[in-house]
Amino acid sequence: MPVAIETKGLTKDYRSPVKEPGLWGGVKSLFDRKWKDTRAVDGVTFSIEEGELVGFLGANGAGKTTTLKMLSGLLTPTSGEATALGFTPWERRPDFQRSISLVMGQRSQLWWEIPAYETFKLNQAIYGLSEADFRRHLDELVELLELGEHLSVPVKKLSLGQRMRCELAAALLHRPRLLLLDEPTIGLDVVMQKNVREFIKAYNKRSGSTIMLTSHNMTDVVELCRRVIVIEKGRLLYDGALDRLVERYAGHKIMRARFTADVDAADLKSLGTVVKYEDRTATLEVPRERMAASAAALLRTYPVADLNVEEVAIDDIVRRLFTHE
Amino acid sequence: MRTYWVAYQIALQETLQRRSTLLMDRVGGFAIVVSLYSFWTALIGDKATFLGYTREEMLTYVLALNVLRSFVFTGRGWQLVGEISSGKISSYLVRPLSYHGYALALDLAQKTVHVCASFIEVGLLALLVRGGLFLPSDPATWLLFGAAVLMSSLLFFFLEFMISSLAFWTSESGGPLFCFELFLQFAAGAFFPLDVLPEGLRRALEATPFPYMIYFPVRVFLEKVPTSEALSLLGREAMWLAAVYLCAMAVWRRGVRSYAAEGG
Repeated sequence: MPVAIETKGLTKDYRSPVKEPGLWGGVKSLFDRKWKDTRAVDGVTFSIEEGELVGFLGANGAGKTTTLKMLSGLLTPTSGEATALGFTPWERRPDFQRSISLVMGQRSQLWWEIPAYETFKLNQAIYGLSEADFRRHLDELVELLELGEHLSVPVKKLSLGQRMRCELAAALLHRPRLLLLDEPTIGLDVVMQKNVREFIKAYNKRSGSTIMLTSHNMTDVVELCRRVIVIEKGRLLYDGALDRLVERYAGHKIMRARFTADVDAADLKSLGTVVKYEDRTATLEVPRERMAASAAALLRTYPVADLNVEEVAIDDIVRRLFTHE
Repeated sequence: MRTYWVAYQIALQETLQRRSTLLMDRVGGFAIVVSLYSFWTALIGDKATFLGYTREEMLTYVLALNVLRSFVFTGRGWQLVGEISSGKISSYLVRPLSYHGYALALDLAQKTVHVCASFIEVGLLALLVRGGLFLPSDPATWLLFGAAVLMSSLLFFFLEFMISSLAFWTSESGGPLFCFELFLQFAAGAFFPLDVLPEGLRRALEATPFPYMIYFPVRVFLEKVPTSEALSLLGREAMWLAAVYLCAMAVWRRGVRSYAAEGG
């Protein structure tokens, strides 16, 4: 598979003014402004093949959006290299711009007062789509996103979910080969989140486009991405399969046992950490290497009605990764 | 080119859609014209001319102001300031689009609506005051006037664009833009013809690009400038336009670079 995105030591520093507190600090900064450099992205190296759908995870301020902005050409890196679809993004060549799309959940490219259809027509002109291509792409998007009647309603009259779907349609009308999605489900209700997720999945399959998405919503990531890249404080923390992330960062599994009679929760401590015990059901965290032994001991010693062993939920792992629990 | 044509059409729809904003704008402009008219009528009184303007010429000046304000003083500065501060500018910068061309298309749409409205208002006013308007009979005058106004409007567009681009560096660029617009009204002759000013001040202003926006085109229209002088002034206006255009583009490029360096 050809490579869609490749970065080498991608680094971005932001400069921001430092203001001393109080009124006097304000006056001082008027004449003698001090600056502070903050490293938002720190030597990030990864490569993504064409057609991949990769989740980009990190806490707030970890550098996800900054990286996406560099890959879309909005920001110039302080150092390091990146190519996207064979172009250097921040040179902002029209050929590159015609092949990508950046969707930021909280920003809109739609015209507010008039129906979304008009914005689509504008994008048709901007991206130089023939009438036939425009029709074909639009029909497909209308079907996938169930836009139908929303196309002729002024954007300001649409609900957030309807608007987000129109936003996606506007961003995909030119069939970008690379799609950068920043929090595509932010602010949507659960049903709408699901619809948008299904759409992204279907679009990736149908068009073979490369998709990189950031999300705070772990369901987005679990349902969409087989591969994830995790960054923290600008540094790459993990790059690989989502399943492996679980093995690597969860040193334990979850054992859930339901008993036929009351047992003393304190006695269970020898098997692992008791997270919860209620209604004769115990939830324990058991180190991976002791799992078999603990399960055997439990069955041997206690009146077990039912036993379940599960992996730790991915969002738990990611949360722990970020909070260093 | 198609992009800008489509943008023009959409912007036209949107301007018409915002009916109350449009109405307020027009009422505001109309009020200025009415107050200027009353002011000048009071000053002229029974005199045949006042400061070199006949009653008819002064009425024409005031009414022409209404049309010229609509054509010249509509830029996209505030939009640019807003889009830079909110980060919406990003959505344009990632698309294969010239923001200037796009903004010009939007501006043209706004001008179309406002100029049409101003013609109606002027017609109405002319009927109301039943005063004769000065209409040049020489086609050359109309030609010169057209060329001057076209350049004036581009001059204003790029000047405003340049000042609005300051938003790339500071979140307080609304201040300079506001001052600029206020000073401009005065310096361009949008309150009164500049020849009512003391000689020194008038000369100082004439060394700036501002009088080319209103004062100069109206004087051409009123045939107060001989053709040869009008041509040389037109040449100077073209030079100002070129200079302002180049500066605006340079500031814009630097701004975009700084935006790309500092983040939106």
